[in-house]
Amino acid sequence: MLNWLLNRLGLKKGSGALRKPGALRARVKQDPEDRPLSKKLDDNKKVLAEIFDRCDDLVMREFTIGKQNPVRLLAVFLDPLVDFTQLYNYLLNPLMSNPQVPPAGITIAWLKEQAVQAGQIREHDRWLAMANEIADGLVGLFVDGQNRALVITAFEDNSRQIEQPVSESVSRGASEAFNEDGRTNLALVRKRLRTTRLAVEKVEVGAVAKATIYVLYLKSYVYDGLPEEIKTRLKRIKTDGILASGQIEEYINDSPWSLFSGLGVTERPDRIVAALLAGKAALVFSITPYAIIAPVTLNSEMQSPEDHYNRFWFGSFSRLLRWGALLTAVLAPAFYVAITSYHQEMIPTDLLMTLLATRAAVPFPVMVETLIMGFAFELLQEAGIRLPKTFGQTIGVVGAILIGQIAVSTGLASPAVVVVMALTAISSYSLASLDISTMVRVIRLGFILAAGFLGLFGVLALFSMLTFQLCAQRSFGIPFLSPFAPLSLGDLKDSLIRAPAWLLNLRPRLTGYAEPQRQHSDLKPSPPKPGNSGDSGQERG
Amino acid sequence: MLDNGRISSVQLLFLLFITEEATTILYSSGKAAELAGPDAWLATSLLPTLYALVIVGVVVALARRFPSQVFTEYLPEVVGKIPGKLLAAAYTAFFILLATVIMTEGVNLIHIIDFPRTPVPVLGIVWAGVAVYGAYLGIECIARQNQLVWPVWLFSLLLIFLLASKDLHINNLKPVLENGLLPVIRGGITRCPWRGYVFFILMLFPYLNQKQEASQAALLHLGLATSTSLFGMFVMIGVFGDLVTAHLVFPFYALARYISIGHFLERLEILVVIIWVAGVIVKLAVFYHSAGIAAANTLGLKSYRATLLPIAITTVILSRVLYGTNLKLVTFMFTTYPIIALAVELAVPALILLIAVIRKKGGKPIADV
Repeated sequence: MLNWLLNRLGLKKGSGALRKPGALRARVKQDPEDRPLSKKLDDNKKVLAEIFDRCDDLVMREFTIGKQNPVRLLAVFLDPLVDFTQLYNYLLNPLMSNPQVPPAGITIAWLKEQAVQAGQIREHDRWLAMANEIADGLVGLFVDGQNRALVITAFEDNSRQIEQPVSESVSRGASEAFNEDGRTNLALVRKRLRTTRLAVEKVEVGAVAKATIYVLYLKSYVYDGLPEEIKTRLKRIKTDGILASGQIEEYINDSPWSLFSGLGVTERPDRIVAALLAGKAALVFSITPYAIIAPVTLNSEMQSPEDHYNRFWFGSFSRLLRWGALLTAVLAPAFYVAITSYHQEMIPTDLLMTLLATRAAVPFPVMVETLIMGFAFELLQEAGIRLPKTFGQTIGVVGAILIGQIAVSTGLASPAVVVVMALTAISSYSLASLDISTMVRVIRLGFILAAGFLGLFGVLALFSMLTFQLCAQRSFGIPFLSPFAPLSLGDLKDSLIRAPAWLLNLRPRLTGYAEPQRQHSDLKPSPPKPGNSGDSGQERG
Repeated sequence: MLDNGRISSVQLLFLLFITEEATTILYSSGKAAELAGPDAWLATSLLPTLYALVIVGVVVALARRFPSQVFTEYLPEVVGKIPGKLLAAAYTAFFILLATVIMTEGVNLIHIIDFPRTPVPVLGIVWAGVAVYGAYLGIECIARQNQLVWPVWLFSLLLIFLLASKDLHINNLKPVLENGLLPVIRGGITRCPWRGYVFFILMLFPYLNQKQEASQAALLHLGLATSTSLFGMFVMIGVFGDLVTAHLVFPFYALARYISIGHFLERLEILVVIIWVAGVIVKLAVFYHSAGIAAANTLGLKSYRATLLPIAITTVILSRVLYGTNLKLVTFMFTTYPIIALAVELAVPALILLIAVIRKKGGKPIADV
């Protein structure tokens, strides 16, 4: 029976992640097969279309050179990664404007040595190398009648337009953010996922103010039906204008009335890549720097990319810290109100004396006092966003003096409530996701009211209601509270804590089942065994 | 089947555990100590578990014959239309009564220990509201909620028992079986109805996604529940002695209050309040859900959700009418209730199973693993 329990909980080796849902799919053909190129251009085109299936950013530019016996050429490249000026200067212009075709006809050698002016040029005759080079951002040049092809460098350098993330900064890790240009955004993702498996599907939404949305996913990793479902929901939107990704979010999420959308918003390409590698999909926009990850869970929203860049001890520590911050941000003022107004016996006597002394001059009940302070704090936050950056200091000074000093000294608020609200504010700023930290501000209000009217019981009842709602919520089929409820023990390694990278062998069970295994299972590093390598004991002896 | 939710066998195990333990540990410990004296720890583990084992046998056999229907759904098929509907109505009434009892228990504790001046109906309405919301969202959601509550529960129980066992005096538990087996049996009877809640498999079976694992989950639950009550009574009587335990209103709450480690780790009763509210809300949601389903089956409705609000209102009113004081509630729970429970949990399902076998109703039982 114990065996059964272990099995059910997914603790036994070989159960868990490989078990369900949907069982293991037949392995999708991922890498292009390594077969030779064909001599016929049309055959090659067909193979290209097959390899770069569902890549709407692939450009195939066909042209003809030579007057007496014209030859068809085909330039193939991924649009976001290639610089058009270079492409024109090195490849198209020399070939198309003034081709001095040698008497022997157009050969690869002629193209390579005399016609194409690019700095780097390589020759391939097999599909695997060819497709990978194109995915890397090079331009492929196919010639009709030749079973060899060239790749030419014409890299787009858009590093200067890219800025640092504003709302999701990390201290250690890449600091590139999306911007308002769809092509750059795609390039940022493509740069990190240089593979033919990355699908980029283009959908246009909005009749007047059009937004181009790229649906990104990894062809063999994404879970069943997700891309189709996203596209269906996007195509359903009939409206005159889309101005921000938040609008799209409201049109396509699963739970229209829920507090959380179940979709992640990010401006960090590395977050998108991590999501794609977990079997999820992403929507990248041409109008806004905020991309959408679909679906997300509470767990994945609580993670910061930094957790994976820091050492796992610290990564785990900061995750626990953030979960603590979430609870504090939601519950701290409510607990303060509940305990001081209903459950005074829970406070140690000395502290109770101090609290009473500081509250003696305050005319309001604790709940009203907390609400006033909460209101002031929310106002400060709102004003901080609206004000021009140069006035930022002013708000800080006004806030500190107004709230910290004068409110207390005039007896409008007690110092304790200022401490609690400050703690709450710091906590809500330390959450990694903008979506969560904004909703927390709203939820907190409800908890303060519940605490004011029914004390701890009210808080617990409301908390149960909130978890009921979150338990029921799904986003594109994925329960919002997984892996906690429904529980999958294997995924807990990457939830409240972060296990070392060499232990995270499997993708999240619910989204990554199409290809469960992330890495080999024997990656635990160890010092070289004595005798195996040159620097071992023998030499020392 | 009116709810399309799916639960796993582990979720079933957790649900069964919470439906028993959420209220038992606080409410029925004192009575067992009163009737069985120092042997209460034996009383709460022997007879109730035997009784529950029989129920598991009956109930799983019956549920397997109708794997895609809940109990109240196939009653008319087995015993005929009119008697079947009448029985389904009786079960609806029973679930409503049970939900009333649970809600009253929940409210009373909060009222007595924390909110003596808040009107009881207010607490009841809040409580019922939250649980009905859970029931409205469906069994899948309740099971998930329970998965969040469960670790908190287990952690708090273990913490309280372990910390309290510092003051355990083994002499309080002696002599074992001083007055023979009779007090043990009498004490055990008071606990039987709660251990017997394992009969809820009848209402939960169709939602299981691994149906052949129902009996394993039930047996594991019985093991867990038995050890919890055995260990719990052991510690309570060991710390307080049987006389004090019998006279405390909530011995477990008192136990948590009693803990004081170095004047630093104190006030653990907050844990009891937390697990009490969280656990009883889940338990109540399960009962509302079952009551709703049973009512919808009886009335032939297409959705059970419409029945939830009337049921909730009924329970809030009944709770005031039937059990105005905690004393009335306790008296009912330990005198009348075991008899009703015996009929509902064991006798009727056994009878239905017998009829189904004789009349050859229901599909072939699913083969065991």
